[in-house]
Amino acid sequence: MKHQLLALAVVCASVICCRVSPKQKALVTRLVKEGTGKTTLAIGDGANDVGMIQEADIGVGISGVEGMQAVMASDFSISQFRFLERLLVVHGHWCYKRIAQMICYFFYKNIAFGLTLFYFEAFTAFSGQSVYNDWYMLLFNVILTSLPVISLGVFEQDVSSEVCLQFPALYQQGPKNLFFDWYRILGWMGNGLYTSLVIFILNIMIFYNQAFRAEGQTADMAAMGATMFSCIITAVNCQIALTMSHFTWIQHLFVWGSVTTWYLFLLLFGMLPPYYSEDAHKILVEALGPAPIYWCTILLVTVACNLPYLAHISFQRCFNPMDHHIIQEIKYYKKDVEDQHMWRRERSKARQETKIGFTARVDAKIRQLKGKLQRRSSTLILPNCMPSPCQ
Amino acid sequence: MSSHTASSSNGGNGSGDSGVPKRNSKRPKYSKFTQQELPACKPILTPRWVVSTFMLIAIVFIPIGIACLIGSRDVVEVVERYETECIPVLNRTNTVQFIQSDADKTCNISMTIPKRMKQPIYVYYQLDNFYQNHRRYVKSRSDEQLKSASKENDTSACKPEDIANGRGAIVPCGLIAWSLFNDTYSFSRQNQSLTVNKKGIAWKSDKQKRFGKNVFPKNFQGGGLVGGATLNESIPLNEQEDLMVWMRTAALPTFRKLYGKIEVDLEEKEVINVTLMNYYNTYSFNGKKKLVLSTTSWIGGRNDFLGIAYLTVGMISFALSMGFTIVYFVKPRRLGDPTFLSWNRGPGSH
Repeated sequence: MKHQLLALAVVCASVICCRVSPKQKALVTRLVKEGTGKTTLAIGDGANDVGMIQEADIGVGISGVEGMQAVMASDFSISQFRFLERLLVVHGHWCYKRIAQMICYFFYKNIAFGLTLFYFEAFTAFSGQSVYNDWYMLLFNVILTSLPVISLGVFEQDVSSEVCLQFPALYQQGPKNLFFDWYRILGWMGNGLYTSLVIFILNIMIFYNQAFRAEGQTADMAAMGATMFSCIITAVNCQIALTMSHFTWIQHLFVWGSVTTWYLFLLLFGMLPPYYSEDAHKILVEALGPAPIYWCTILLVTVACNLPYLAHISFQRCFNPMDHHIIQEIKYYKKDVEDQHMWRRERSKARQETKIGFTARVDAKIRQLKGKLQRRSSTLILPNCMPSPCQ
Repeated sequence: MSSHTASSSNGGNGSGDSGVPKRNSKRPKYSKFTQQELPACKPILTPRWVVSTFMLIAIVFIPIGIACLIGSRDVVEVVERYETECIPVLNRTNTVQFIQSDADKTCNISMTIPKRMKQPIYVYYQLDNFYQNHRRYVKSRSDEQLKSASKENDTSACKPEDIANGRGAIVPCGLIAWSLFNDTYSFSRQNQSLTVNKKGIAWKSDKQKRFGKNVFPKNFQGGGLVGGATLNESIPLNEQEDLMVWMRTAALPTFRKLYGKIEVDLEEKEVINVTLMNYYNTYSFNGKKKLVLSTTSWIGGRNDFLGIAYLTVGMISFALSMGFTIVYFVKPRRLGDPTFLSWNRGPGSH
């Protein structure tokens, strides 16, 4: 019986269940969730909605007249029902992209870092010696590369909030899973693998066994390790700068600040007595800083690591641009201001209209009447009204 | 996560500044930070940026690559492998036994200078297949002991080379010091000897901070097996430059270490006669020993790789910029063209 109900319900535009108990609300939600396999969202404001909110994949509680029970049981809480639109279309859209980019980037940077350690083992008779000082490795994920990712995850916006509300079709990038499919995940991991290979091989070949300074000294493991690590930090932070599309002062501070922090750390760590800094004592000031080969290596490795990604995104933007790229370009070149007609037309196309039921018939009638009106007064300038059928 | 989006949200234009609230409003204070409306720059990748970035990289990298290659090509380097040559023919089947015996280990080799070498000419010894970067080897030292005489007995990390049998701690302890390289070289040309300056080959920070000036070697090589050189017990550690250079563990199994400097010019086609004492045992592990004479340039020793790598990346970048230019002319896409939006492109696109 309930399968028949489900089969009927999914072909309807909307279904109203009235006089249902809280348990039945939860059961209906479960039926839809398991029967269709889609992601469900439940929104409610009272204690009788708690079951339904907890049953659905996403539960939204409204805090207000009926108390705080719904809020306490929910994943998200808002204060008015109308904020649901903003929650989904603006914040849902942004969060999906932010989380997808953050996770992919995290894998990338840790693969780029960790694999260089593995490659080095082949040169140490697999004895387990790490090429980096312990302190470098400790700080890698804590200070040196974590803050830019946090700023990406908190502040990144592909389009502004007004545009998100004007173009609800952009939200569809989430349900279609365009930013976290296997192609993208494996692509980022491949990028990490490539980066680690470039960093390792270039450093080994450049510092091979000859002198690295005009005064004839050869590089020891501390010098090679510090150079390799500097390359990793710079390459990985430049990569995140290429990934970001929305730069506030916070992003600039964190990204460029992380690279600066690394050099500051190397400087200060080197000033500590050798009891703490061992082979890294004065390494930047004495050994690496005055050596042109150090700076040349960092520049070369950073560019070599980021060149494929830059080529890839340029190519993609040229031949296969995604919706938010086009809209970013329209906003950048202010074409929405110049060509308002086009902008309104695209906005209306980006809202999916209902196709069945009474509402659709009303919409069709309105469109017909509007068409007649436009043909009659085709020479008049239309007032600035929005042709969207329902809000 | 709760989103108290107090700003108005009717599909509209403008940010959340609707009218004065009528009741006692619970709306949180507006700030650009919490409303995510901080001023931001939103660069987009236009064709102009793409082509100019790649072109800029090419313009910067190709000259740097040429400069690095010239710097490396300016370096004159002479390498002479000698570990097999310096064993008399009769003993070549049993090299380990020979090297451990008391036989005369003097060896004479000659090196021909291919091009004029301007002073200072650096003398290196190169070892192959010697894993100075092995984990157990690297940790087998005591920095405390090297620095101060009072910490002489701080030898716990140095086992098995920590204590001489019944005579107290070994200074400097550990495998790194124990395996100190001890081949010596003396150079002469046309029967006139060339002095090798062995001062100033170690890092200044080693001499001043890591090795103490009142720490003297004691019981060195006294642990039963002799692994390398012996040290003069009257010279403090911060003047033992060979030891300081050796203790900087190398990163790769093939490495060179600075032996000294020759401070005269060497002319082209000169033959340098080297009298070397072939003491060091690399035969137990099939290691190779090489003697290297090298000048340096601003970039260091001879290694064409950096220059070639720069040129390669510069050329690839140039090719990419040319490629993208052609593509943008052949198949241009007008920026901001709404026909590329997914709902205008028809089904099956995103």
